[in-house]
Amino acid sequence: MKALTTEQIRSVIARGKLKDSIFQAVGIFCLVVGLLVILLLVGDMLLRGIDRLSLDFFTNFASRRAAQSGILSAWVGTILVMFVTALAAVPLGVAAGIYLEEYARRNWVTEIIEINITNLAAVPSIVYGLLSLGIFVYAFGFGQSILSAGLTLALLILPIVIVSTREAIRAIPAMIREGSMAVGATRWQTCRYHIIPYAMPGILTGVIIGLARAIGETAPIITIGALTFIAFLPPVPFSTTGEGTAGLFDWVMSPFTVMPIQIFNWTSRPDPAFEVNAAAAGFVLMAMVLSMNALAIWLRYRLRKNIKW
Amino acid sequence: MNESVHLSKQFDEDLTGLRTHVLEMGGLVEAQARAAIHAYASGDTAAVKDIVENDYRVNGFEKIIDEETIHVVAKRQPTASDLRLVMGITKIVTDLERIGDEAKKIAKGARRVHEHGQLTLPRATDVRHVADEAIAMLHQALDSFARLDVVKAAEVIHADTKVDTEFKALVRQLITYMMEDPRTITTAIDIVWICRSVERIGDHAKNVAEHVIYIAEGRDIRHAGKEA
Amino acid sequence: MQQIENKEVPPLKAEARSLNFFYSEVQALKNINMPIYDKKVTALIGPSGCGKSTFLRSFNRMHDLYPGNRYEGEIRFFPDNTNLLSPEVDPIEVRMRVGMVFQKPNPFPKTIFENVAYGLRVRGEKNRRVLDDKVEHALKGAAIWNEVKDRLQDLAPNLSGGQQQRLCIARALATDPELLLFDEPTSALDPIATGAIEELVHELKQRVTILIVTHNMQQAARVSDYTAYMYLGEMIEFGKTDDIFIKPQDKRTEDYITGRLS
Repeated sequence: MKALTTEQIRSVIARGKLKDSIFQAVGIFCLVVGLLVILLLVGDMLLRGIDRLSLDFFTNFASRRAAQSGILSAWVGTILVMFVTALAAVPLGVAAGIYLEEYARRNWVTEIIEINITNLAAVPSIVYGLLSLGIFVYAFGFGQSILSAGLTLALLILPIVIVSTREAIRAIPAMIREGSMAVGATRWQTCRYHIIPYAMPGILTGVIIGLARAIGETAPIITIGALTFIAFLPPVPFSTTGEGTAGLFDWVMSPFTVMPIQIFNWTSRPDPAFEVNAAAAGFVLMAMVLSMNALAIWLRYRLRKNIKW
Repeated sequence: MNESVHLSKQFDEDLTGLRTHVLEMGGLVEAQARAAIHAYASGDTAAVKDIVENDYRVNGFEKIIDEETIHVVAKRQPTASDLRLVMGITKIVTDLERIGDEAKKIAKGARRVHEHGQLTLPRATDVRHVADEAIAMLHQALDSFARLDVVKAAEVIHADTKVDTEFKALVRQLITYMMEDPRTITTAIDIVWICRSVERIGDHAKNVAEHVIYIAEGRDIRHAGKEA
Repeated sequence: MQQIENKEVPPLKAEARSLNFFYSEVQALKNINMPIYDKKVTALIGPSGCGKSTFLRSFNRMHDLYPGNRYEGEIRFFPDNTNLLSPEVDPIEVRMRVGMVFQKPNPFPKTIFENVAYGLRVRGEKNRRVLDDKVEHALKGAAIWNEVKDRLQDLAPNLSGGQQQRLCIARALATDPELLLFDEPTSALDPIATGAIEELVHELKQRVTILIVTHNMQQAARVSDYTAYMYLGEMIEFGKTDDIFIKPQDKRTEDYITGRLS
């Protein structure tokens, strides 16, 4: 083969670089399109709802009159439901993930379980709603409560938590595990001192991303029958109510509403004034999701800083 | 000896070069010894100058081979048979250089003897006979090195006893001459020195053979007494 | 296998007897018989994939961590003559007696102190004074105390590679193992750090029996008292290091250590 002349080399490079720049331009265009759509959506909601975004909006219950309507019961309900969801999904998902990664032997049973977990993540959320309606609402008798909703959403995000736990555990080098076992540690000691702490950033990220998904879910919550007009808050523990002193966990059995349902509710009203409320509430929901994602990023950064190998 | 080649061709070339140089040096030393004995036996004192001058070539070989060995050790860290070869060579070279020195001494002694002009007393042929045996030992030792032939090397070691015995006989004979005729003493002493050098050549040839056995088998048979 | 006879045989610390090992269907070790002498350094050499690491990792049952691995034969451990490979012997018990240092330094992403104290914590030691003492002793034993004594609460992964490896040695030493396994401990280190580890191995053999796998033949020659050459899962030759490196008995050993094609 004859060596290329300098001229030829340059033309080859020039051709290659042209393709480089074309791809770069296409990539930037796609990115801008995606970002613009999101910005437009958020901006549009903000513009339409800005009139309603005041402190009153957060402290008022929903009302027949659009101007005095607020999202108090909705955001409190959302936060409480999320709390229950996290409380249920984290231990279940993390334990299941650890078991599958650290304890389970690789055989056809675990193989099937793994495939099913992946499939669970793809099950439409309304199906979870139907399932919960049967189990939590009727069979267990939890009714249309915060507990039912929280558990429903917990089931919904369980696959996400399990998968992210497993991914986080897999990212830990085998030599760390071997290093621990080599000094005579048991599997549990290895999990307790190493696997769980080192997987924590990944697990937390997964949990928060799961919660961010759950926070916007409407269908399963509607299915369990939470689409009601709620103009009160769940009982604060140990506070005095009409029926005597509330217990520590009474609030979990309380009826509730959540942000997406409140929004759905408003958009289905004929009065266009409620559209403004819906836009404002939509913006608040969006802000909640984004701040959860921000929290996830910050936590991951904080926790990972001290973990390296 | 290990006949397979190294992964590093360069290493093979280095070792081959080293062995070739040792054999070249051995050839030169052997030629020097032959020439010296010939000068003594034939009275051709003109050759002495060449022999003395050629000794610098022997010394040159010693320097070159030493340098090459150091390079091989530094760059290749030889092990096992390679290590034994390289270590053995450094010792063989020392012995060869000494043989060169002995050849030079024989040549100079021959010149003194013939300048005194009295070679009638001890028959030159007796000395020559022992010297031929010593040189044959050297030749065979070098041969055994070239092929790493342990059997040949063992023969060399065995032959040394014979050379030693004959050396003693020659010296006794020379002492008799000196006692009979004190005028021969100067010459006779020179001849004793020549015999002594011949005997030393045999000793060094034996050493070379011992190094060959070490290289080939990793057995150190020096100073091992009769059982070797 | 050829064994060189020597008159004074030191006491045994362990001995592999007819050891076979299988990764599922693949036989990685074939009928290995080899002594490990007490308070001596034994080096395992051989080309990649010859089974030397596999052999090493049998001594602390590391293979039990992964499914499908199977041992046959015995590794006898002295003075109590326990068979380390027996199904009745808990691998955790084995690992409490046999320490290990890995190819790549693998300190935990915790403090220097916690790394060394870990083995003790695993054994249930909670007394702070005992922990302090043993950690210091182990760090001194691993010749790293002077470098880290003022920063025991720093994170271990911030140490240099050579320091990390010595920390890992301290971690293994803290629990007073009877046998210490080194799996190519210097392959990730520079020559200076390597030298420090080799020096350390030499000092450690006063206290503990050492089995070391190395790719570096000169290292085996420098640090070990006995050397075993392995090839394709077999023990080809075992003998005193001096003998192996000056006059090996087997042509295959000779070819390997002199760098010849065979």
